Amino acid sequence: MSSEIDEYNGGSVLAMLGKNCVAIASDKRFGMKLMTLGTEFPKIFQATDKIYIAMAGLATDIQTLSELIRYKINMYKLREEREIEPTTLAYMVASTLYERRFSPYYVSPLIAGLDKNNKPYICNMDLIGCVTTTNDFVVGGAADDCLLGTCEALYEPDLEPEDLFETISQSLISAVDRNAASGWGAVVHVLTPERVITRTLKTRQD
Amino acid sequence: MECLFGLVGKDFAITVSDATSIQSIVVMKHTEDKSRNLNKHIIMLYAGEPGDTVNFAEYIQRNVRFYEIKNGIELSPQAAAKFTRRQVAESLRSRQPYSVNLLIAGYDVKTEASQLYWIDYLGSLIEIPFAAHGYGAYYVTSVLDRYYYPQISLDEAKVLIKKCIDELKTRFFINLSNFKIKVSNKDGIQEIVL
Amino acid sequence: MARRYDTRTTIFSPEGRLYQVEYAMEAISQAGTALGILAKDGIVIVAEKKVTSKLLESTTTSEKVYLLNDNVICGVAGMTADANILINYSRQVAQQYLLSYGEDIPVEQLVQRLCDLKQGYTQYGGLRPYGVSFIYAGYDSHHQFQLYHSDPSGNYGGWKATCIGANNASAQSLLKQDYKDEITLHESKLLALKVLSKTMDTTTLTSDKLEFATLHLNAEGKVVHQFYKSEEIDVLIKEHNEKKSNEED
Repeated sequence: MSSEIDEYNGGSVLAMLGKNCVAIASDKRFGMKLMTLGTEFPKIFQATDKIYIAMAGLATDIQTLSELIRYKINMYKLREEREIEPTTLAYMVASTLYERRFSPYYVSPLIAGLDKNNKPYICNMDLIGCVTTTNDFVVGGAADDCLLGTCEALYEPDLEPEDLFETISQSLISAVDRNAASGWGAVVHVLTPERVITRTLKTRQD
Repeated sequence: MECLFGLVGKDFAITVSDATSIQSIVVMKHTEDKSRNLNKHIIMLYAGEPGDTVNFAEYIQRNVRFYEIKNGIELSPQAAAKFTRRQVAESLRSRQPYSVNLLIAGYDVKTEASQLYWIDYLGSLIEIPFAAHGYGAYYVTSVLDRYYYPQISLDEAKVLIKKCIDELKTRFFINLSNFKIKVSNKDGIQEIVL
Repeated sequence: MARRYDTRTTIFSPEGRLYQVEYAMEAISQAGTALGILAKDGIVIVAEKKVTSKLLESTTTSEKVYLLNDNVICGVAGMTADANILINYSRQVAQQYLLSYGEDIPVEQLVQRLCDLKQGYTQYGGLRPYGVSFIYAGYDSHHQFQLYHSDPSGNYGGWKATCIGANNASAQSLLKQDYKDEITLHESKLLALKVLSKTMDTTTLTSDKLEFATLHLNAEGKVVHQFYKSEEIDVLIKEHNEKKSNEED
């Protein structure tokens, strides 16, 4: 097991692009190295009705950063009198991370959302805020290399919401079941223009 | 080497801290209280770097008290835990971070429910039904995993706590001879003896 | 006489008055009226818009009623420029509290923080006080629905119904006459219109001269705010007019 600080608490996150929809998922584990302490640790945060942000990495930084982003999103909404757009949020998070360039938050954030025209968007970034926007899937956390493999094998473009749910769920379950630092159940959100489908998954309990 | 743990029952939270005060290889005291009451309903247990612990605990205790005097309202266990977490997290990236692990247990008067929060020196906060800090956690969590159930009654919780302490006394190579046990419920905080 | 003691905020006059602060309050009593009524199931805030030109491009959806936090709205009377600074300040305070304690700020604490800032400008020299009064409508789990008023001196108080701006004295006495402790939110909306129809300079109420907002609990018991669109205000005005003509019959 890695002794890196970004894998100290474990946990993994994943987002996928579908046809007019996006999905975002995470596991629920909170641990200290190999010891599991919590099995209900939230790693996905709602930014707006149509945007979710997921973070894996050092738990204290996930909490600090998610609270800071909530502050900024709330202020943005009050000042602009409208909801923030996914790309705007991505760069808001990125510049927040880059402010701490020389003592960074140890997190890998993912953003998944629908913009004002309901066009789906996903991206990930590194711990100092270098944004990568893709048109298939993005991964992060302790099982990121496993996730890359499962996504590569299972993903196909233009999936409908229910199929996207199945694909993201199977990709996540297969990956976290092979990773000791992730697992203990998972949460999946599928965002469509009409509604958000939220489901919890049971995975290996060990 | 220190050991803190606690659990939440139906309408109470119970906490245990070892009462051993150690300097180098010498046991200086068997009756040290490693906890502070933040208000009428909230207990905070602390372990970590000697010096940091009491200083930090009393800093939190006085800030919570100040809030309550200034605003005339009681802080909920959740608000107190979130406040404490932020103080630890901010200290982590300062020049001299506090090295303190904490458990916060309390009874929320408004929701009439008990909560237990686990906070480490990095500032990670989780709310869980039972929690432990220190090497003792390896023994205690196993026992609690086996015997704990939600909505446990106070009497049964006391039996379970006794089980945990017995396990520490038989399997942990450090002699933790004495423990302080506290209960928080709607009537406030009491120290109890098993 | 006043001339010697009113150039600075920090100097008391021999009669023990701070003229700059009083002038600030005078400025407010010429501004558009804003009033708030506390009902048992919610709060209403109504404000009178002074500038209503067809040519005016409105930059924000409202100019007199603002959202401060998920649980607090406020009505403004006085200098809009000053109000903008204070509104931004109180939004920051509310978000800072959320960051520290993970829950919404209790209403009175938010009012208090804003008043601490306002008070500072009545004491530290060389600056003028903020020329704004506020009416705050808020909800928290400690004291449920609350209505507050604050003025440029930094004084604040809790009210069942209150009014700031032009004609506030006559509006206040009308509120005193008609307020009942068991008033519902809907009744308070109509009462607000009744009071404004009597105190405003115009003879008939129109939606383009009003800003209307309420705070109430939804089905899940969560506090929600509602800023009324002009069509929604028209519906209320219609109901108000019908009620008025019925009473006259």
